[in-house]
Amino acid sequence: MALIELEKIVKTYELGHQKVPALRSIDVRIERNEFVAIVGQSGSGKSTLMNIVGCLDVPTSGRYRLSGRDVSDLSDDELADVRNLEIGFVFQSFQLLPRATALENVELPLIYRGVSRKERREQAEHALDLVQLSDRMTHRPAELSGGQRQRVAIARALVTQPSLLLADEPTGNLDSKTGEEIVWLFHELHEKGNTILLVTHEPKLAARCPRAVRLVDGVVVADGKGREVALANAEALGAETLAAFNAAQAAQTGRRVP
Amino acid sequence: MSESALPLPLATRPRQMGFRRKAARVFGELREAVAQAAYALRAHRLRATLTISGIGLGIAMLIGILTVLSGFQVSFLRQLNTLGPNTLFVHKWKWGVNGNDWWKYKNRPHVTQLDWRALEANANLPEAIAPIVSNDASVTYGGKELKHVDVRGSTSKYLEATGWQIRRGRFLTDLDHELGTDACVIGADLEEAFFKGQEPLGQRLKVGPSTRCTIVGTFVRKGNAFGQPQDLRVLIPLSAFTRSFGLKRGLVLSVVAPAGKVTQTEDEVISVMRNARRLRPDQEDNFSVNRQDKLLQGFNQMTLALNVVGVLIGIITAIVGGIGIMNILLVSVKERTREIGVRRALGARRTTILLQFLCEAVMVSAMGGFVGVALGAGAGKLVDVLTPFPASVDPKVVIGGCLGSILLGAIFGIWPALSAAFLHPIEALRYE
Ligand SMILES: Nc1ncnc2c1ncn2[C@@H]1O[C@H](COP(=O)(O)OP(=O)(O)OP(=O)(O)O)[C@@H](O)[C@H]1O
Ligand SMILES: [Mg+2]
Repeated sequence: MALIELEKIVKTYELGHQKVPALRSIDVRIERNEFVAIVGQSGSGKSTLMNIVGCLDVPTSGRYRLSGRDVSDLSDDELADVRNLEIGFVFQSFQLLPRATALENVELPLIYRGVSRKERREQAEHALDLVQLSDRMTHRPAELSGGQRQRVAIARALVTQPSLLLADEPTGNLDSKTGEEIVWLFHELHEKGNTILLVTHEPKLAARCPRAVRLVDGVVVADGKGREVALANAEALGAETLAAFNAAQAAQTGRRVP
Repeated sequence: MSESALPLPLATRPRQMGFRRKAARVFGELREAVAQAAYALRAHRLRATLTISGIGLGIAMLIGILTVLSGFQVSFLRQLNTLGPNTLFVHKWKWGVNGNDWWKYKNRPHVTQLDWRALEANANLPEAIAPIVSNDASVTYGGKELKHVDVRGSTSKYLEATGWQIRRGRFLTDLDHELGTDACVIGADLEEAFFKGQEPLGQRLKVGPSTRCTIVGTFVRKGNAFGQPQDLRVLIPLSAFTRSFGLKRGLVLSVVAPAGKVTQTEDEVISVMRNARRLRPDQEDNFSVNRQDKLLQGFNQMTLALNVVGVLIGIITAIVGGIGIMNILLVSVKERTREIGVRRALGARRTTILLQFLCEAVMVSAMGGFVGVALGAGAGKLVDVLTPFPASVDPKVVIGGCLGSILLGAIFGIWPALSAAFLHPIEALRYE
């Protein structure tokens, strides 16, 4: 039994009368202890997919089975408990509580799983230590750099030792060295038995994953070895970027040159 | 993250929490909720203070009204008891009558000694009948004059009919009345004013312009009744009273009925009085037989009306305060929409969010409640100290005020709190 089974997942946003298709018929199976990179152009539906996998959002149609159980059968409280006890989520936009310190932010999920105050503190300190923020524990998000905030968000996802880690561009704001260290941490977790989904724009990181899934306009266009899919994605991105660039150049010269 | 704790495989059902963990979770959430609420209130100090003082003033007013009313009631009942539950008062005036009928009662004939004689002769049920007449006069002793002394004329039945008691010496006897002696019995205030540490018995007083009396006894102190001091009084035989002050004043006949036969006695008194006054069947009574429970009825109606007014004021303040709380909460929910999304994403249940916002509402209203109870109790104490009313603060009112204010917060907070709890996690996270 696969850990994550997505069958014909469709997600359509409605903006007034307009319908925005974010995902159109996604079929993906992810086994326990897989490490999957999700790549694709901006707006291709990666975050939307992560939200559905993370039990934060429900698909417009299609079936999502988590560990064999249809998520639409779970009650709201059960979903909350699944999010708290099984899933660690790193949001693309960090989503830290602005008024709480780094330490309090990392402690938050532990409150909801009934960890005592003392243990909470210890575990949160340890998690912040892992992302090398031991010296910034009492800082509030506004007093931290973008990369430091991102690392607090990662620490918050790791502190509960989730069996499923969903990371939406966790290295987007980090320099390549710190980013590599974070992904190295993920690989360690993977070796210990975790299942990890990683959204990334960096071909290098995706290439290092055993498996990668590529999305284009809400459809899975490639699913295979990390290196190959990442390469294909980079090429596609490069070609598109090049094409766009050429078109812009042509338009400009067309107008400028008499 | 200890090394030994491997990530657990995702179970079909979420991992179960033991009792200790559940307790720790509830405790942690509550603690967090209180801290968050305190922070939110501090961030909006002015608005919170206004709402709290609004609720506080409302509750203080309500408690004040109820306290003064219950003080009123206590003192009234205490005074009423001094009248004796089985005593009827035959009088020209009807108790508790309002201004409209004033002339009707004014024009009635006085109750006279003839009426008294008729009752003594023809009414069988009464255990005792005491005629009482009173006059405001000054009393002089040893060159010292006391004004506004309540000088009363009555008979030996006075003690039985009124419940007054003799402290020293003796009371007036039938003989004193029949002979019209100069015997008198004085109240505690008079005794204190004239005879501090001296023997009053046997001393002679000047009562009114010319009458001289010899003190034969003193009364036990009675205290105030209906806000009036009662111990500044002199009791002399009825015959001596009429000799000194004339026959113009009407009597009150204090009639003691046997226990359980108050109504029969009342009927008998009425028929004897009508006979004595030769009233035809179609004529109205031209006298009143007053009973303390009638007085009580009138009083209860009045206090009921005041209580209703008090409760109405309370309800109005509650609604105004509640709207303030609702406003605070709605703004709080709006401001913290993203935070709600984050909490939900990290595993907070709907009830957790609900609790968090209810906590804020209840904190505001409870603070208002405490302020109100403190103010109300303080005002009650002040009334108690500064006025003759025994305005004691009822602990029931205090507890009711606290619980009521907490309930108020919960009731007016529930809707905003529910709207927060039912936010969609993703939409809350995307809220700008
Ligand atoms: N709440 C929403 N309402 C309307 N449209 C939405 C909403 N959320 C996402 N979309 C649309 O759905 C599509 C997919 O969005 P999504 O955030 O999943 O992209 P993404 O792959 O994560 O992009 P990026 O790499 O920039 O984060 C986009 O076209 C976006 O405009
Ligand atoms: Mg995204």
